[in-house]
Amino acid sequence: MLRLPVIKLTAGLQNGRIPVARLHITSSKLQQELVEVFIDDKPVQVPPGTTVLQAAAKVGVEIPRFCYHERLAVAGNCRMCLVEIEKQIKPVAACAMPVMKGWRVKTNSDLTRKAREGVMEFLLVNHPLDCPICDQGGECDLQDQSMAFGSDRSRFVDINYTGKRAVEDKDIGPLIKTIMTRCIHCTRCIRFASEVAGIDDLGTTGRGNDMQVGTYVEKMFLSELSGNIIDLCPVGALTSKPYAFVARPWETRRTDSIDVLDAVGSNIVISHRTNEVLRILPREINEEWLSDKARFSCDGLKRQRLITPMIKINGKLEAVEWEDALVATARAIQDIAPNKCAAIAGKLVDAEALVALKDLVNRLGGEVLATEQSFPKEGAGIDIRSNYVLNNTIAAVEEADVVLLIGTNPRYEAPLVNTRLRKGYIHGEQTIGLIGPNVDLTYDYEVSIKPDNTLHLGQSADIVTQLRNGTHSFSNTLKSAKKPLIILGVDQLTRKDGAKILSETQLLAQALGENTKAPEEWKVLNILHTRASQVAALDVGYSSTVEEVKEQQPKVLFLLGADDANIKREDFPNTCIIYIGSHGDEGASIADVILPGAAYTEKVATYVNTEGRSQQTCAAITPPGMARPDWKIIRALSEICGVRLPYDDLAEVRSRLEEIAPHLVRYGVVESANYFAQALELSKQVPGCLSSNPLEVKQETLDQFFMTDAISRASQTMAKCVQAVIKQRESNL
Amino acid sequence: MATPVTSGLKQVKPILSLTHIEAHRKVITLYKTWYRQIPFIIYFNFVKKANYIIPVTKEECQQKLREEFYRHANVRDLRVIDMLLVKGQMELQEVCAQWKPAATLLRYWKETEEPKPKDFMSKFLSGHE
Amino acid sequence: MICTLVFVTEWYVGVCCRTDLLLRGTEVFHQNVIITEKLLEVVTKSTSHNIKITNTTEAEKPETRPTIRRITTDIQTIKDLGLYISGCLPKYVQKVQINAGDELEILICPDGVIPTINFLKYHQNTQYVSLSDLTAVDIPSRKYRFEVVYNLLSFVFNSRIRVKTYTDELTPLQSIESIHDAANWYEREVWDMYGILFRGNSDLRRILTDYGFEGHPLRKDFPLSGFVEVRYDDEYKRVVCEPLELTQEFRKFELSAPWEQFPNFRLAAPEESKEKDSPKEKDKK
Repeated sequence: MLRLPVIKLTAGLQNGRIPVARLHITSSKLQQELVEVFIDDKPVQVPPGTTVLQAAAKVGVEIPRFCYHERLAVAGNCRMCLVEIEKQIKPVAACAMPVMKGWRVKTNSDLTRKAREGVMEFLLVNHPLDCPICDQGGECDLQDQSMAFGSDRSRFVDINYTGKRAVEDKDIGPLIKTIMTRCIHCTRCIRFASEVAGIDDLGTTGRGNDMQVGTYVEKMFLSELSGNIIDLCPVGALTSKPYAFVARPWETRRTDSIDVLDAVGSNIVISHRTNEVLRILPREINEEWLSDKARFSCDGLKRQRLITPMIKINGKLEAVEWEDALVATARAIQDIAPNKCAAIAGKLVDAEALVALKDLVNRLGGEVLATEQSFPKEGAGIDIRSNYVLNNTIAAVEEADVVLLIGTNPRYEAPLVNTRLRKGYIHGEQTIGLIGPNVDLTYDYEVSIKPDNTLHLGQSADIVTQLRNGTHSFSNTLKSAKKPLIILGVDQLTRKDGAKILSETQLLAQALGENTKAPEEWKVLNILHTRASQVAALDVGYSSTVEEVKEQQPKVLFLLGADDANIKREDFPNTCIIYIGSHGDEGASIADVILPGAAYTEKVATYVNTEGRSQQTCAAITPPGMARPDWKIIRALSEICGVRLPYDDLAEVRSRLEEIAPHLVRYGVVESANYFAQALELSKQVPGCLSSNPLEVKQETLDQFFMTDAISRASQTMAKCVQAVIKQRESNL
Repeated sequence: MATPVTSGLKQVKPILSLTHIEAHRKVITLYKTWYRQIPFIIYFNFVKKANYIIPVTKEECQQKLREEFYRHANVRDLRVIDMLLVKGQMELQEVCAQWKPAATLLRYWKETEEPKPKDFMSKFLSGHE
Repeated sequence: MICTLVFVTEWYVGVCCRTDLLLRGTEVFHQNVIITEKLLEVVTKSTSHNIKITNTTEAEKPETRPTIRRITTDIQTIKDLGLYISGCLPKYVQKVQINAGDELEILICPDGVIPTINFLKYHQNTQYVSLSDLTAVDIPSRKYRFEVVYNLLSFVFNSRIRVKTYTDELTPLQSIESIHDAANWYEREVWDMYGILFRGNSDLRRILTDYGFEGHPLRKDFPLSGFVEVRYDDEYKRVVCEPLELTQEFRKFELSAPWEQFPNFRLAAPEESKEKDSPKEKDKK
């Protein structure tokens, strides 16, 4: 694969101009002299190499554009950003032209406006007039800009549409609907695919009027980030298939929230209308990108939902009223012996529910609080936070110069972390090594010189030790790094030798940290989680494992949205299983009592992402049927059981959260972990040795990415995606 | 011809009454008018050959009338009092002429409205936030 | 009383040439008129533009200006008319403006409703004898939240004029029923929809809403679904009225794109707001 395929080419083509896409990385560091330019007679000081368009943005003058996008390379092919520059005869494309000292740019002069009008007229000559049936209508750049900058009359006389361009639509997968006649050839999707998504599938064929954007061969555009080209497309050529003809953007309401389907905690906007989630869009925090699972699995929120409480009567689950369900639960809990009560928390659970359930179980005399994903107790265990968060923060990942991935596939476990890695790889000359199965990360990682000709460092866990000892070929690269970074996949810690892997990684991280002159706040050791609830659960003290729950054989077992715990009814022959959660999935099928909870779009709740940043979701809609927010169910249950929990509203729960872990309610702030040294000391005492089993990751290929939790398993769109990936694989293209 | 303009140092323009005494008198008058109209509202009216068929007694109506007037007992702003007077007068007209439907009139008694739940459990069970 | 005097004299003088009079009025009372520079600029620009188009042929000079809607009305005439009216009624007219290219608007104080409308109806050179519309606009952020709008039409001169004044929830306006009979229902409508009292209206009561309806529906703070709902109650065997439990969503129109155009410059505060502000908006401030 070509490294730096587009950027360097553009740089070459631009004949010595500073490539703009790199500007936002370097501009803060380059303390060069500023040049003064005048935008509509307003003076502005900008670093050299800034384009006219960016300089104008700095004084709040927005120049219309189609092809230019802040996070993609400059193409300069739509010509919409033409502006007049004093003493220059021809108008200049503002997006690609770096400013020169003393330039006077006129963004609203007659020449500029006439130029825009001309460009707009050319674009509209071949653009269909199907706005009323176009899904982009209302959020269409072409629509908006033709209103603002286009001519108010038409010279189009071909009322029989004999010469109007028409392009065949492409089938590029179950997520993206294409109406290629609407395409204006801005090439944003092509640039996104090759630069960010790392899939060089899209491109153009033909020239001039015959130019087409497509995939060259009959092939689907399948990526974990493919939905972003819908946002990028300035017209209605690429629209969302699940959202087709559903709503107009102005009639929906928008609620800012957090995605919980992976542990990144991407910021999202939930677009909803009349108590129904219609679509999910990214917010600018995650570089405006969003993974397809987060974006398209929202139809899973409407299917397989638990809407009434249920009790198992004569071996059959039957819908009942809340009173009956709560009383039945209380009867099971009644006179429970100490330590005969346990809980397992699932992957989508919020911190409020975790704390409420912990309080309830503790009051009932239980101590066993487990998460689905176990965390080794040896060494420091969960007592020291640096052991289980992505200490270095996600945004800083792209700054590292050498990255070592251990037993993780960030592309599918955390797609937005992977975009950062890819960005670092493309723009920052990052070197990346991977210990684990040979997966496609969209960028090259270290090629081993071992004779067995594997394309990665290896798959065995003892390579970590080899890297520390300096006996591995990659260790020199790693040790000479200025900003080394180790990302350990959390799945490896569930292995038998998980504690040992963690301790070996800690030792390696410490060795690297001492060796380099990285700044104080640079943290080498990072754990990449895959479950949104995990960090919060560890923070509030869910330390047990599912195995321990099985050994204990509790009389009452709470499953808090635990659908992936891999437990069977036979494991608990004499246990009353109470399931609290939103979807009828694995957990609900083995339960004796089902209490319907709210999904993440229906509650105000706290989540802590993998870097230890606590964020809150906002309730966009109300829970369906008789479902209630999870912590309220637990609170109501506690009152019926006679161990009333002392909080009645969200503020009171939040103050209880603050008592346990103050950082949980400091929203938006990363609570950085410390005590690395102590954690290391404790981990040195970990007994045992590394097993020889190779490191495996759960999600190796794209079809394993789409359905990972109760919501995405219930989503039809995700099922279609899996089908499409399998079909594509079989077609050998 | 243009009317002469009376502008001066007045802060606000009065709606009806200039002083509190005047307003008070108007309120009492309105109250009395309502009070006297109650029998014509609920009993058969021989002039209009009709009446509201509503399940309330004269005493209940009088009680409700008093409540409604006392509901605004703490209003001190003259102009607000006047606005309430204007609206009260319009309401009286609508009721006396039987323009207003009986269902709307009965809304004064709010008998079908259930009180909102207060404590956590009842809020939880009824699904109120 | 000055305005009355002027009014009377001109009423009897009966000048035959209208433009003459307009120009005279302009000279005399020019100091009272507020027209922003921007407005004048727009006016002069569009007129000169018109002239230019008639004088040049396309072969001589290619058109380089962007296309805009051409205004066919003689701006100078309505400008003079506005200046003249404000000159005649200096006490009431606060501002004269031309909106949407060629629509003359007279902004008056609430006390001047009767004299202004009277003047416009009976003056020889205006003769706005038809009240084509009377309505209000609710702008809750303002001190006087309601803007009351009178649209008048002159058959003789084939011209329209808009008179605007302001009031709040508790300040009554003078009814113009004595001048225009049509105002009776219009004012009832405004009372019903906005709750603006009109002093002197002979029959001020609801006109559009149902009897027993609560609130004034066109106020901005009125919920889209209203305050009460009506349903048939099986227990009582009759229709009952109840406060609305499930409030309907507001239609909040979101017109901006969710993704930002210039994320790198997010923190840099724009030194000046965008140039898209129309002169109309600036005038209002």
